[in-house]
Amino acid sequence: MLKRLVKWARVKSPWILHFNSGACNACDIEILAALMPHYDLERFGILLKASPRHADVLICSGPVTKQVAKRLKRIYDQMPEPKFVVAVGACACSGGAFRGCYNVMEGVDQVIPVSAYVPGCPVKPEAIIDGVAKLLGKLQQSAA
Amino acid sequence: MDAIKVLIYIAIFPGFLFQSVFSTYLEWLDRKLYARMQNRLGPLYTGWNGILQPVADILKLFAKEDIVPASADKFMFNLMPVLSLASVFAAGLYLPIWHLTSYNSFEGDLIVVAYLLAIPSFALFLAGWFSVSPFSLIGATRVLTQLFAYEVPFFLALLTPAVMAGSWKIATISSYPWTSGSWWVIPVQLIAFGVALLTLQAKLERVPFDSPEAETEVVGGPLTEYSGKKLGMFRLQKDILLFVGSALVAALFLGGFGGGIILGCIQLVLKTIFVVILLSVVRAACARIRIDQIVTFSWKYLAPASLVQLLIVLLIKGWKGVA
Repeated sequence: MLKRLVKWARVKSPWILHFNSGACNACDIEILAALMPHYDLERFGILLKASPRHADVLICSGPVTKQVAKRLKRIYDQMPEPKFVVAVGACACSGGAFRGCYNVMEGVDQVIPVSAYVPGCPVKPEAIIDGVAKLLGKLQQSAA
Repeated sequence: MDAIKVLIYIAIFPGFLFQSVFSTYLEWLDRKLYARMQNRLGPLYTGWNGILQPVADILKLFAKEDIVPASADKFMFNLMPVLSLASVFAAGLYLPIWHLTSYNSFEGDLIVVAYLLAIPSFALFLAGWFSVSPFSLIGATRVLTQLFAYEVPFFLALLTPAVMAGSWKIATISSYPWTSGSWWVIPVQLIAFGVALLTLQAKLERVPFDSPEAETEVVGGPLTEYSGKKLGMFRLQKDILLFVGSALVAALFLGGFGGGIILGCIQLVLKTIFVVILLSVVRAACARIRIDQIVTFSWKYLAPASLVQLLIVLLIKGWKGVA
Protein backbone atom coordinates (compact mmCIF):
# COMPACT_ATOMS: atom_id res chain seq x y z
CA MET A 1 0.00 0.00 0.00
CA LEU A 2 2.72 2.45 1.05
CA LYS A 3 4.85 1.28 -1.85
CA ARG A 4 2.01 1.91 -4.29
CA LEU A 5 1.51 5.37 -2.82
CA VAL A 6 5.18 6.19 -3.19
CA LYS A 7 5.18 4.90 -6.77
CA TRP A 8 2.15 7.04 -7.55
CA ALA A 9 3.90 10.09 -6.10
CA ARG A 10 7.07 9.34 -8.09
CA VAL A 11 5.22 8.98 -11.38
CA LYS A 12 3.17 12.11 -10.77
CA SER A 13 5.98 14.41 -9.77
CA PRO A 14 9.15 14.00 -11.83
CA TRP A 15 11.40 17.03 -11.41
CA ILE A 16 13.93 17.45 -14.16
CA LEU A 17 17.42 18.84 -14.39
CA HIS A 18 18.69 19.96 -17.74
CA PHE A 19 22.36 19.38 -18.45
CA ASN A 20 24.14 20.34 -21.65
CA SER A 21 26.86 17.73 -22.11
CA GLY A 22 28.48 19.40 -25.09
CA ALA A 23 25.51 19.84 -27.40
CA CYS A 24 25.33 22.36 -30.24
CA ASN A 25 22.41 24.06 -28.38
CA ALA A 26 19.71 22.97 -30.82
CA CYS A 27 18.42 20.23 -28.51
CA ASP A 28 18.63 22.62 -25.54
CA ILE A 29 16.39 25.10 -27.33
CA GLU A 30 13.95 22.29 -28.07
CA ILE A 31 14.00 21.20 -24.41
CA LEU A 32 13.23 24.78 -23.36
CA ALA A 33 10.48 24.90 -25.99
CA ALA A 34 8.97 21.80 -24.39
CA LEU A 35 8.94 23.60 -21.03
CA MET A 36 7.30 26.73 -22.43
CA PRO A 37 3.58 27.51 -21.93
CA HIS A 38 2.65 26.05 -25.32
CA TYR A 39 3.32 22.47 -24.12
CA ASP A 40 3.21 23.26 -20.38
CA LEU A 41 4.87 20.24 -18.82
CA GLU A 42 3.64 21.34 -15.38
CA ARG A 43 0.38 19.62 -16.38
CA PHE A 44 2.17 16.34 -15.62
CA GLY A 45 3.81 17.74 -12.50
CA ILE A 46 7.13 18.16 -14.29
CA LEU A 47 9.13 21.08 -12.93
CA LEU A 48 12.54 22.29 -14.03
CA LYS A 49 14.88 22.35 -11.04
CA ALA A 50 18.20 24.10 -10.86
CA SER A 51 19.98 21.90 -8.31
CA PRO A 52 20.83 18.22 -8.96
CA ARG A 53 19.92 17.50 -5.32
CA HIS A 54 16.28 18.37 -6.07
CA ALA A 55 15.93 16.54 -9.36
CA ASP A 56 14.66 13.05 -10.26
CA VAL A 57 15.29 13.00 -14.00
CA LEU A 58 18.50 14.20 -15.62
CA ILE A 59 17.96 15.35 -19.19
CA CYS A 60 21.22 15.30 -21.14
CA SER A 61 21.75 16.75 -24.58
CA GLY A 62 24.93 16.32 -26.53
CA PRO A 63 27.70 13.82 -27.22
CA VAL A 64 29.57 13.85 -23.93
CA THR A 65 32.86 15.64 -24.62
CA LYS A 66 35.91 14.34 -22.81
CA GLN A 67 36.06 17.53 -20.78
CA VAL A 68 32.45 17.40 -19.61
CA ALA A 69 32.41 13.65 -18.84
CA LYS A 70 33.83 14.10 -15.33
CA ARG A 71 31.33 16.87 -14.56
CA LEU A 72 28.45 14.80 -15.90
CA LYS A 73 29.46 11.91 -13.64
CA ARG A 74 29.66 14.26 -10.66
CA ILE A 75 26.25 15.81 -11.38
CA TYR A 76 24.81 12.30 -11.66
CA ASP A 77 26.37 11.28 -8.35
CA GLN A 78 24.93 14.37 -6.65
CA MET A 79 21.37 13.35 -7.49
CA PRO A 80 19.50 11.40 -4.80
CA GLU A 81 18.13 7.90 -5.57
CA PRO A 82 15.91 6.92 -7.34
CA LYS A 83 17.17 8.78 -10.39
CA PHE A 84 16.72 8.46 -14.14
CA VAL A 85 18.59 9.75 -17.15
CA VAL A 86 17.04 10.70 -20.48
CA ALA A 87 19.41 11.14 -23.44
CA VAL A 88 17.91 13.75 -25.76
CA GLY A 89 19.10 14.00 -29.35
CA ALA A 90 21.04 11.82 -31.75
CA CYS A 91 24.33 13.00 -30.22
CA ALA A 92 23.34 12.04 -26.70
CA CYS A 93 22.14 8.64 -27.90
CA SER A 94 25.17 7.61 -29.94
CA GLY A 95 27.43 10.54 -30.72
CA GLY A 96 25.45 11.59 -33.79
CA ALA A 97 27.30 13.97 -36.09
CA PHE A 98 30.27 13.93 -33.74
CA ARG A 99 30.70 10.13 -33.79
CA GLY A 100 34.34 9.29 -34.37
CA CYS A 101 35.67 12.66 -33.23
CA TYR A 102 38.80 12.55 -31.10
CA ASN A 103 37.23 14.58 -28.28
CA VAL A 104 33.85 12.97 -27.58
CA MET A 105 32.70 9.91 -25.63
CA GLU A 106 29.99 8.99 -28.21
CA GLY A 107 26.87 9.04 -26.08
CA VAL A 108 25.73 9.63 -22.55
CA ASP A 109 25.57 5.89 -21.81
CA GLN A 110 29.35 5.69 -22.03
CA VAL A 111 29.52 7.62 -18.74
CA ILE A 112 26.30 7.06 -16.79
CA PRO A 113 23.41 4.57 -17.11
CA VAL A 114 20.61 5.88 -19.36
CA SER A 115 16.93 5.00 -18.89
CA ALA A 116 15.44 6.46 -22.07
CA TYR A 117 16.76 7.53 -25.46
CA VAL A 118 15.06 10.21 -27.57
CA PRO A 119 16.63 10.41 -31.05
CA GLY A 120 16.37 13.36 -33.43
CA CYS A 121 18.56 16.17 -34.72
CA PRO A 122 17.29 18.26 -33.10
CA VAL A 123 14.51 16.41 -31.31
CA LYS A 124 11.00 17.79 -31.45
CA PRO A 125 9.47 18.95 -28.16
CA GLU A 126 6.71 16.39 -28.72
CA ALA A 127 9.35 13.66 -28.93
CA ILE A 128 10.89 14.75 -25.63
CA ILE A 129 7.49 14.70 -23.93
CA ASP A 130 6.80 11.29 -25.47
CA GLY A 131 10.12 9.96 -24.21
CA VAL A 132 9.54 11.20 -20.69
CA ALA A 133 5.97 9.85 -20.74
CA LYS A 134 7.26 6.43 -21.85
CA LEU A 135 9.82 6.51 -19.04
CA LEU A 136 7.05 7.28 -16.55
CA GLY A 137 4.89 4.51 -18.04
CA LYS A 138 7.71 2.04 -17.57
CA LEU A 139 8.14 3.25 -14.02
CA GLN A 140 4.42 2.77 -13.42
CA GLN A 141 4.51 -0.83 -14.66
CA SER A 142 7.63 -1.80 -12.75
CA ALA A 143 7.20 -3.48 -9.39
CA ALA A 144 7.70 -0.71 -6.84
CA MET B 1 -11.22 15.84 29.02
CA ASP B 2 -9.37 19.11 28.64
CA ALA B 3 -6.19 17.25 27.77
CA ILE B 4 -7.96 15.39 24.96
CA LYS B 5 -9.46 18.62 23.69
CA VAL B 6 -6.07 20.33 23.59
CA LEU B 7 -4.60 17.28 21.86
CA ILE B 8 -7.32 17.48 19.21
CA TYR B 9 -6.63 21.20 18.78
CA ILE B 10 -2.93 20.55 18.27
CA ALA B 11 -3.20 17.41 16.16
CA ILE B 12 -6.34 17.89 14.10
CA PHE B 13 -8.28 21.07 13.66
CA PRO B 14 -6.27 24.21 13.81
CA GLY B 15 -3.16 22.11 14.22
CA PHE B 16 -1.09 19.64 12.27
CA LEU B 17 -3.61 17.84 10.06
CA PHE B 18 -5.75 20.79 9.03
CA GLN B 19 -2.74 23.02 8.41
CA SER B 20 -0.98 20.41 6.26
CA VAL B 21 -4.03 19.57 4.16
CA PHE B 22 -5.28 23.11 3.70
CA SER B 23 -1.83 24.49 2.93
CA THR B 24 -1.25 21.94 0.17
CA TYR B 25 -4.60 23.01 -1.27
CA LEU B 26 -3.44 26.63 -1.14
CA GLU B 27 -0.22 25.72 -2.97
CA TRP B 28 -2.26 24.02 -5.69
CA LEU B 29 -4.50 27.09 -5.95
CA ASP B 30 -1.47 29.35 -6.17
CA ARG B 31 0.22 27.24 -8.84
CA LYS B 32 -2.98 26.92 -10.83
CA LEU B 33 -3.68 30.66 -10.76
CA TYR B 34 -0.06 31.41 -11.62
CA ALA B 35 -0.30 29.02 -14.58
CA ARG B 36 -3.60 30.47 -15.79
CA MET B 37 -2.16 33.98 -15.66
CA GLN B 38 0.74 32.76 -17.81
CA ASN B 39 -1.72 31.25 -20.29
CA ARG B 40 -0.92 27.70 -19.15
CA LEU B 41 -3.04 25.01 -17.54
CA GLY B 42 -0.95 24.15 -14.53
CA PRO B 43 -1.08 20.75 -12.78
CA LEU B 44 -3.83 18.74 -14.48
CA TYR B 45 -3.54 14.97 -14.10
CA THR B 46 -2.84 14.41 -10.40
CA GLY B 47 -6.24 14.02 -8.83
CA TRP B 48 -9.11 16.35 -9.82
CA ASN B 49 -7.47 19.09 -11.95
CA GLY B 50 -4.16 18.30 -10.30
CA ILE B 51 -5.36 19.11 -6.81
CA LEU B 52 -3.11 16.40 -5.33
CA GLN B 53 0.02 17.73 -7.06
CA PRO B 54 1.59 19.30 -3.92
CA VAL B 55 0.82 16.11 -1.98
CA ALA B 56 2.53 14.00 -4.64
CA ASP B 57 5.55 16.32 -4.62
CA ILE B 58 5.97 16.12 -0.86
CA LEU B 59 5.35 12.34 -0.71
CA LYS B 60 7.93 11.78 -3.43
CA LEU B 61 10.48 13.92 -1.64
CA PHE B 62 9.90 12.02 1.61
CA ALA B 63 10.57 8.73 -0.20
CA LYS B 64 13.80 9.86 -1.82
CA GLU B 65 17.37 9.32 -0.78
CA ASP B 66 18.55 11.77 1.86
CA ILE B 67 22.04 13.11 1.19
CA VAL B 68 24.07 15.03 3.75
CA PRO B 69 27.08 16.65 2.05
CA ALA B 70 30.44 15.69 3.52
CA SER B 71 31.41 19.30 4.16
CA ALA B 72 28.15 20.22 5.91
CA ASP B 73 27.69 20.55 9.66
CA LYS B 74 25.59 17.44 10.27
CA PHE B 75 23.76 18.56 13.42
CA MET B 76 22.67 21.98 12.16
CA PHE B 77 21.97 20.64 8.66
CA ASN B 78 19.54 18.09 10.12
CA LEU B 79 18.05 20.39 12.74
CA MET B 80 17.04 23.34 10.54
CA PRO B 81 14.17 21.77 8.52
CA VAL B 82 12.59 20.43 11.71
CA LEU B 83 12.99 23.75 13.51
CA SER B 84 11.43 25.81 10.73
CA LEU B 85 8.53 23.39 10.29
CA ALA B 86 7.86 23.31 14.06
CA SER B 87 7.88 27.08 14.36
CA VAL B 88 5.31 27.67 11.61
CA PHE B 89 3.08 24.92 13.05
CA ALA B 90 3.30 26.57 16.46
CA ALA B 91 2.50 29.97 14.96
CA GLY B 92 -0.58 28.49 13.31
CA LEU B 93 -1.93 27.34 16.67
CA TYR B 94 -2.36 30.95 17.79
CA LEU B 95 -4.66 31.90 14.93
CA PRO B 96 -8.16 32.75 16.13
CA ILE B 97 -9.89 30.37 13.74
CA TRP B 98 -12.25 28.67 16.15
CA HIS B 99 -14.64 31.17 17.60
CA LEU B 100 -13.36 34.66 17.74
CA THR B 101 -10.54 33.40 19.90
CA SER B 102 -8.10 30.53 19.87
CA TYR B 103 -7.95 28.17 22.84
CA ASN B 104 -4.51 29.33 23.92
CA SER B 105 -4.63 33.05 23.21
CA PHE B 106 -3.20 35.49 25.70
CA GLU B 107 -2.32 39.18 25.84
CA GLY B 108 0.72 39.64 23.60
CA ASP B 109 0.39 36.59 21.36
CA LEU B 110 0.75 38.82 18.29
CA ILE B 111 4.38 39.35 19.28
CA VAL B 112 4.87 35.62 19.80
CA VAL B 113 3.44 34.86 16.35
CA ALA B 114 5.59 37.55 14.73
CA TYR B 115 8.60 36.01 16.44
CA LEU B 116 7.66 32.46 15.42
CA LEU B 117 7.18 33.60 11.83
CA ALA B 118 10.69 35.12 11.85
CA ILE B 119 12.29 31.79 12.83
CA PRO B 120 11.85 30.10 9.40
CA SER B 121 13.90 32.85 7.75
CA PHE B 122 16.69 32.40 10.28
CA ALA B 123 16.47 28.63 9.88
CA LEU B 124 16.77 29.08 6.13
CA PHE B 125 19.81 31.30 6.62
CA LEU B 126 21.47 28.80 8.97
CA ALA B 127 20.54 25.90 6.67
CA GLY B 128 22.33 27.60 3.79
CA TRP B 129 25.23 28.65 6.00
CA PHE B 130 25.91 25.19 7.41
CA SER B 131 25.56 23.32 4.13
CA VAL B 132 28.80 25.03 3.04
CA SER B 133 28.50 25.41 -0.70
CA PRO B 134 29.13 28.66 -2.60
CA PHE B 135 25.57 28.87 -3.89
CA SER B 136 23.96 28.20 -0.56
CA LEU B 137 26.24 30.71 1.18
CA ILE B 138 25.28 33.48 -1.26
CA GLY B 139 21.63 32.48 -0.90
CA ALA B 140 21.91 32.50 2.89
CA THR B 141 23.40 35.99 3.04
CA ARG B 142 20.64 37.18 0.72
CA VAL B 143 18.02 35.64 3.02
CA LEU B 144 19.43 37.62 5.92
CA THR B 145 19.74 40.86 3.93
CA GLN B 146 16.17 40.47 2.80
CA LEU B 147 15.07 39.78 6.37
CA PHE B 148 16.46 43.17 7.43
CA ALA B 149 14.53 44.74 4.58
CA TYR B 150 11.03 43.36 5.14
CA GLU B 151 10.86 42.57 8.85
CA VAL B 152 10.47 46.14 10.13
CA PRO B 153 7.73 47.16 7.67
CA PHE B 154 5.99 43.84 8.43
CA PHE B 155 6.00 44.54 12.17
CA LEU B 156 4.89 48.15 11.61
CA ALA B 157 2.03 46.92 9.45
CA LEU B 158 0.97 44.42 12.13
CA LEU B 159 1.18 47.22 14.70
CA THR B 160 -1.55 49.26 12.99
CA PRO B 161 -4.55 47.04 13.78
CA ALA B 162 -3.10 46.40 17.23
CA VAL B 163 -3.04 50.12 17.96
CA MET B 164 -6.53 50.45 16.50
CA ALA B 165 -7.94 47.76 18.78
CA GLY B 166 -5.75 48.79 21.70
CA SER B 167 -4.55 45.25 22.34
CA TRP B 168 -1.68 42.89 21.61
CA LYS B 169 -4.00 39.91 21.47
CA ILE B 170 -4.78 38.58 17.97
CA ALA B 171 -8.22 37.45 19.11
CA THR B 172 -9.13 40.93 20.42
CA ILE B 173 -7.78 42.63 17.29
CA SER B 174 -9.62 40.35 14.89
CA SER B 175 -12.87 40.57 16.84
CA TYR B 176 -12.64 44.38 17.16
CA PRO B 177 -14.99 45.09 14.22
CA TRP B 178 -17.44 42.47 15.53
CA THR B 179 -17.54 43.66 19.13
CA SER B 180 -17.40 47.41 18.51
CA GLY B 181 -19.40 47.36 15.28
CA SER B 182 -16.93 49.68 13.62
CA TRP B 183 -16.38 48.04 10.24
CA TRP B 184 -14.88 51.24 8.84
CA VAL B 185 -11.50 50.17 10.28
CA ILE B 186 -11.02 47.80 7.32
CA PRO B 187 -10.93 50.48 4.57
CA VAL B 188 -8.97 52.78 6.87
CA GLN B 189 -6.19 50.20 7.23
CA LEU B 190 -5.85 49.60 3.49
CA ILE B 191 -2.28 50.94 3.32
CA ALA B 192 -1.11 48.66 6.12
CA PHE B 193 -2.91 45.76 4.42
CA GLY B 194 -0.95 46.42 1.24
CA VAL B 195 2.34 46.69 3.12
CA ALA B 196 1.58 43.46 5.01
CA LEU B 197 0.82 41.68 1.72
CA LEU B 198 4.07 42.78 0.09
CA THR B 199 6.19 41.98 3.13
CA LEU B 200 4.48 38.60 3.46
CA GLN B 201 5.43 37.99 -0.15
CA ALA B 202 9.02 38.86 0.75
CA LYS B 203 8.86 36.58 3.80
CA LEU B 204 7.70 33.73 1.57
CA GLU B 205 10.50 34.54 -0.89
CA ARG B 206 8.22 34.58 -3.89
CA VAL B 207 8.54 36.72 -7.01
CA PRO B 208 9.40 39.68 -7.01
CA PHE B 209 11.30 39.09 -3.76
CA ASP B 210 12.80 35.69 -4.66
CA SER B 211 16.40 36.78 -5.09
CA PRO B 212 17.59 34.44 -2.23
CA GLU B 213 16.59 31.42 -4.28
CA ALA B 214 16.95 32.79 -7.78
CA GLU B 215 17.56 29.70 -9.93
CA THR B 216 19.30 31.64 -12.66
CA GLU B 217 21.88 33.07 -10.25
CA VAL B 218 22.38 30.90 -7.19
CA VAL B 219 20.94 27.49 -8.24
CA GLY B 220 18.64 26.68 -5.31
CA GLY B 221 19.78 29.34 -2.86
CA PRO B 222 20.06 28.12 0.73
CA LEU B 223 18.34 24.85 -0.21
CA THR B 224 20.85 23.93 -2.93
CA GLU B 225 22.32 21.03 -0.96
CA TYR B 226 19.05 19.76 0.50
CA SER B 227 17.45 16.63 -0.87
CA GLY B 228 14.90 14.03 0.10
CA LYS B 229 12.81 14.47 3.21
CA LYS B 230 14.58 17.56 4.46
CA LEU B 231 13.74 19.36 1.23
CA GLY B 232 10.21 17.99 1.63
CA MET B 233 10.03 19.50 5.10
CA PHE B 234 11.16 22.88 3.78
CA ARG B 235 8.54 22.65 1.05
CA LEU B 236 5.80 21.80 3.53
CA GLN B 237 7.04 24.61 5.77
CA LYS B 238 6.72 27.10 2.90
CA ASP B 239 3.16 25.95 2.23
CA ILE B 240 2.18 26.24 5.87
CA LEU B 241 3.85 29.64 6.10
CA LEU B 242 1.72 30.67 3.13
CA PHE B 243 -1.38 29.54 5.02
CA VAL B 244 -0.42 30.96 8.42
CA GLY B 245 0.75 34.26 6.97
CA SER B 246 -2.36 34.73 4.83
CA ALA B 247 -4.64 33.71 7.68
CA LEU B 248 -2.86 36.13 10.03
CA VAL B 249 -3.22 38.98 7.53
CA ALA B 250 -6.88 38.03 7.02
CA ALA B 251 -7.46 37.95 10.78
CA LEU B 252 -5.86 41.33 11.39
CA PHE B 253 -6.95 43.31 8.33
CA LEU B 254 -10.06 41.63 6.93
CA GLY B 255 -12.13 41.47 10.08
CA GLY B 256 -11.27 38.05 11.45
CA PHE B 257 -13.39 34.93 11.42
CA GLY B 258 -16.34 35.64 13.71
CA GLY B 259 -19.89 34.37 13.76
CA GLY B 260 -19.81 30.89 15.24
CA ILE B 261 -17.93 27.75 14.31
CA ILE B 262 -19.40 27.08 10.85
CA LEU B 263 -19.48 30.69 9.68
CA GLY B 264 -16.02 31.18 11.19
CA CYS B 265 -14.57 28.24 9.29
CA ILE B 266 -16.15 29.39 6.02
CA GLN B 267 -14.75 32.86 6.56
CA LEU B 268 -11.33 31.43 7.38
CA VAL B 269 -11.25 29.50 4.12
CA LEU B 270 -12.63 32.30 1.95
CA LYS B 271 -10.54 35.11 3.41
CA THR B 272 -7.33 33.07 3.33
CA ILE B 273 -8.01 32.16 -0.29
CA PHE B 274 -8.63 35.84 -1.05
CA VAL B 275 -5.24 36.79 0.39
CA VAL B 276 -3.53 33.94 -1.50
CA ILE B 277 -5.16 35.10 -4.74
CA LEU B 278 -3.77 38.61 -4.18
CA LEU B 279 -0.32 37.12 -3.51
CA SER B 280 -0.54 35.04 -6.71
CA VAL B 281 -1.46 38.12 -8.74
CA VAL B 282 1.60 39.93 -7.36
CA ARG B 283 3.73 36.89 -8.17
CA ALA B 284 2.47 36.63 -11.74
CA ALA B 285 2.59 40.36 -12.45
CA CYS B 286 6.14 41.07 -11.30
CA ALA B 287 9.67 40.16 -12.30
CA ARG B 288 12.46 39.50 -9.83
CA ILE B 289 14.15 42.58 -8.38
CA ARG B 290 17.74 42.65 -7.15
CA ILE B 291 18.57 42.33 -3.47
CA ASP B 292 19.67 45.98 -3.17
CA GLN B 293 16.45 47.06 -4.87
CA ILE B 294 14.50 45.02 -2.31
CA VAL B 295 16.22 46.82 0.55
CA THR B 296 15.75 50.23 -1.07
CA PHE B 297 12.11 49.54 -1.85
CA SER B 298 11.36 48.34 1.70
CA TRP B 299 13.03 51.22 3.49
CA LYS B 300 12.11 54.00 1.06
CA TYR B 301 8.50 53.11 0.42
CA LEU B 302 7.13 50.31 2.60
CA ALA B 303 8.40 51.54 5.99
CA PRO B 304 7.29 55.20 5.47
CA ALA B 305 3.94 53.96 4.13
CA SER B 306 3.32 51.94 7.27
CA LEU B 307 4.38 54.92 9.41
CA VAL B 308 1.87 57.13 7.58
CA GLN B 309 -0.76 54.48 8.20
CA LEU B 310 0.15 54.46 11.89
CA LEU B 311 -0.20 58.25 11.98
CA ILE B 312 -3.64 58.03 10.34
CA VAL B 313 -4.78 55.46 12.90
CA LEU B 314 -3.46 57.52 15.82
CA LEU B 315 -5.17 60.67 14.49
CA ILE B 316 -8.47 58.83 14.10
CA LYS B 317 -8.18 57.43 17.59
CA GLY B 318 -7.40 60.89 19.00
CA TRP B 319 -10.26 62.46 17.04
CA LYS B 320 -12.73 59.90 18.33
CA GLY B 321 -11.32 60.35 21.81
CA VAL B 322 -10.94 56.66 22.53
CA ALA B 323 -7.17 56.64 23.00
